Amino acid sequence: MNNFFRVLFFFSLLFLVACSSNQKVSRIDPNAVVDLSGRWNDTDSRLVADEMIKDCLSRPWYSNMIQQKGANPTVVIGKVRNKSHEHINIETFIKDMERALINSGTVDFVASAPERQELRNEIESQAGNATDETRKDAGQEIGADLMLTGSLNSIIDQDGGEQVIFYQIDLELTDLQSHRKVWIGNKKIKKYISRDAVKF
Amino acid sequence: MNKIALLAFISFLLFGCANKSNVRYDALSQSLERGGFSGAIQTIEKEKEDLYGEKSAFLYHFDLGVLFHYNRDFKKSIDHLTKAEQIYEDLYAKSVTNEAAALLTNDNTRPYRARPFELLFLYQVQILNYLAINDLDGANVEVKRAQMAMEALYQKDSEKVNDNGFLQYLTALVYEMNGENDNAAISYYKAVKAYQEYRQKLPTELVDFTSSSLQKNGREDDLRQLNIPNTETPLSQSLEEKGAEIVVVGYAGHSPILGEMRMSGTFVNGEGLNLTYTDGQTGEVKSFTMLAPIVAESGTATAHIAFSLPEKKVLPFNVYDFSIYLNNEPEIYSESVTDLNDEITRNLKDDWSGTVAKTAARVALRTFAAQKTKKAVETSNPLLNLATSIGTDVASSQLEKADLRVGLFMPNRIHMTRIPVAPGVHDLDIAALDSRGATVSRFTFKQVSVQKGQKLFLFIPAIK
Repeated sequence: MNNFFRVLFFFSLLFLVACSSNQKVSRIDPNAVVDLSGRWNDTDSRLVADEMIKDCLSRPWYSNMIQQKGANPTVVIGKVRNKSHEHINIETFIKDMERALINSGTVDFVASAPERQELRNEIESQAGNATDETRKDAGQEIGADLMLTGSLNSIIDQDGGEQVIFYQIDLELTDLQSHRKVWIGNKKIKKYISRDAVKF
Repeated sequence: MNKIALLAFISFLLFGCANKSNVRYDALSQSLERGGFSGAIQTIEKEKEDLYGEKSAFLYHFDLGVLFHYNRDFKKSIDHLTKAEQIYEDLYAKSVTNEAAALLTNDNTRPYRARPFELLFLYQVQILNYLAINDLDGANVEVKRAQMAMEALYQKDSEKVNDNGFLQYLTALVYEMNGENDNAAISYYKAVKAYQEYRQKLPTELVDFTSSSLQKNGREDDLRQLNIPNTETPLSQSLEEKGAEIVVVGYAGHSPILGEMRMSGTFVNGEGLNLTYTDGQTGEVKSFTMLAPIVAESGTATAHIAFSLPEKKVLPFNVYDFSIYLNNEPEIYSESVTDLNDEITRNLKDDWSGTVAKTAARVALRTFAAQKTKKAVETSNPLLNLATSIGTDVASSQLEKADLRVGLFMPNRIHMTRIPVAPGVHDLDIAALDSRGATVSRFTFKQVSVQKGQKLFLFIPAIK
C-alpha cells in the first residue's frame, strides 16, 4: 500500500470519528463547582444567595426593625429584573434566600403578588364550597413591612474566543410604609472564558 | 486486489453522511402547501433524520423556530431558536475531523453553523417572540445576545458584517419599552447608520422616531451627522398624544433558497484556474480566470475539473406589500424594514471567491487522486481496468456536492408599521398585496385591546 492510500485511509477513519457520538452520565455532589460553558449556573446562584443572606442579616436595619416592631419583620418579594445577556431563572437564588431567612427564624415572608392572587382565588372558591369549620376568611392576610426588589446586570467584553463576563446583582429592601430603603446588597461575579478555535 | 477492496471500503465510509438539502425543500414545500405552517411543522418533526440529520441540527431548530413563530406558538419558537443558537455557539471551534472529512468529500459533511443573515434573523425573531408574549426582560436578554453576536461577526470579518438596521431598530424599541431612553437614542442612530451604510431604503417611520429620540435626548449633533433631509416627527408626536401603539410586523414573500450552479474548466496546479458557468439569474454563460491554489505533491499537474457551487434560487411568491385599515380609517401602507433577498445575494457574493478557490482545490486534489488510484489498481485485464476507471471517476464526481443548506422559511422581506392608538379596543383589517397592489389575502383582528403605554405586536405571515 503506497503513502497515498495510507493518507486516504487515515482521513476516512477521521471521517468515521466525525460521524460518531457517545454520551456518559454520572451523578455528582449538588454543591460541586462545575463550570462548563461559562454561563450563569447553579454555583453563581448559590454564591449570590449565600452572600446576600449573610450581608442582609448582619446590617443594622434588622436590629432597628426588631426594636421598633417587637417582632420579626415581614417581607414580600417584589420584582427582580433580569437585565443581563442570559435567560437566567432568578427565582432560584431568591428562593434560596427566602428559605434560608425563614429557616433562620429571623424574617417572615408573605406570598408574592401572583401567589396571593392564586390564594385569593382558592379562598373565594372555599367560600361557596368548604364547610364552615374549615373555610378560611378573606381579609385576614398579613401586610408586609418590607419589599425585596432588585436587578441582575451583566457587562461583556469579548475578542474572538476570549470573553470577560461581569455580573452584578443588586437587591434592596424598601420599607413599604415610608418607602425608605433599609438595606442594599450587591454581589459581583467576574468570569474569564476562553474557547479554542480548533478541536479534534 | 486488496487495493480495490480498500477503495470500496473507503468509498463506503465517505458516502456515510449524504447531502439531504436536495430533498428537504421539495418535501417541505408540499407540506406547507397542503397543511400550512402546522403541516410543515409536523413533517419536519416526523422526518427529522431524513430531512435534516445530525449535521444540519441548526437548520432543524431554526426552521421549526421560524414556523412556530408564524404559527403564533411563540414559546415553542423560543425553545427551538434557543437550541439553534446553542448549536451555533457550540460550533465555534472548528473540528479537525470534520474539516478533514470536508476536504475529502464536500462541505455538507461539516455541521452547519449558519450564515450571518440567518443568525441575525434568528435574533430578530427571538426579540419579536418575547415581545409577543409580553416578556420584556426576555426581549432585553435577546437584544444583548444579538449585540454580542453582531460584535463577534464584526470581529471575525468587518468587511462582510458591520451592522444590521432592522436589528438596531428593534433594539431601540426594546430600550424604549424599558425606559432606557439614552440607549434607545443610540440604537436609533445606529439603525439609520446601518441602513445608510448598506445603501438600503430608510423606512420613513424610522427617520421620524430617530429624529424625535435624538432631539429629546440632547443629541442634535448626532442627528445632524446622519444628514437626514426631513426631521419632522408627526408619528412620534401622535404616539405621545395617544399613549399606545400597535406594531404590525408583516412577512412578505418567501426568501430565496440555494440551488446548484455547475462550473467547469481547467486547473493548472499553483498557476491558473479558468472556469466557465451559466449565470442562473440571467442565463448568460460567463468565464473567469483566477490564481489556482497549490495542491501538495502534484507538481504542475493539469486537470479538467467540474463542480457545483451554491447559487440563489428565487421561489415564486405573491405577497409584496401590506395595507392596513385601523377602525375603518384611511389605509396605511407598510414599509419594508429588511430584505432577506438582498442579504442572501450579498452573502453569496462575499463568499464567492473563497468558495470557488476552496472547492476547485478540493476537486483538483480528488482528480489527481483518482488518476493515481487508476494507476495503482491497474491490472493486465483491459475490461477490469475500464470498469475501475469508470468507477473511480463516478465515485470522485459523486463526492462533490454544493452545500445548499440554508433556512427554508425566511420571508423575502419584513415590513414593520407602528400605528399610534389611544388605549382601548381597536379593529384592524390588513390586506396582503401582490406586486400590482391587488389584494391576495386578508387578515382581520377584531376587538384588539391595547392598554396605556403598551406596544402591542401583531404578526402577518404571508410568505406564500
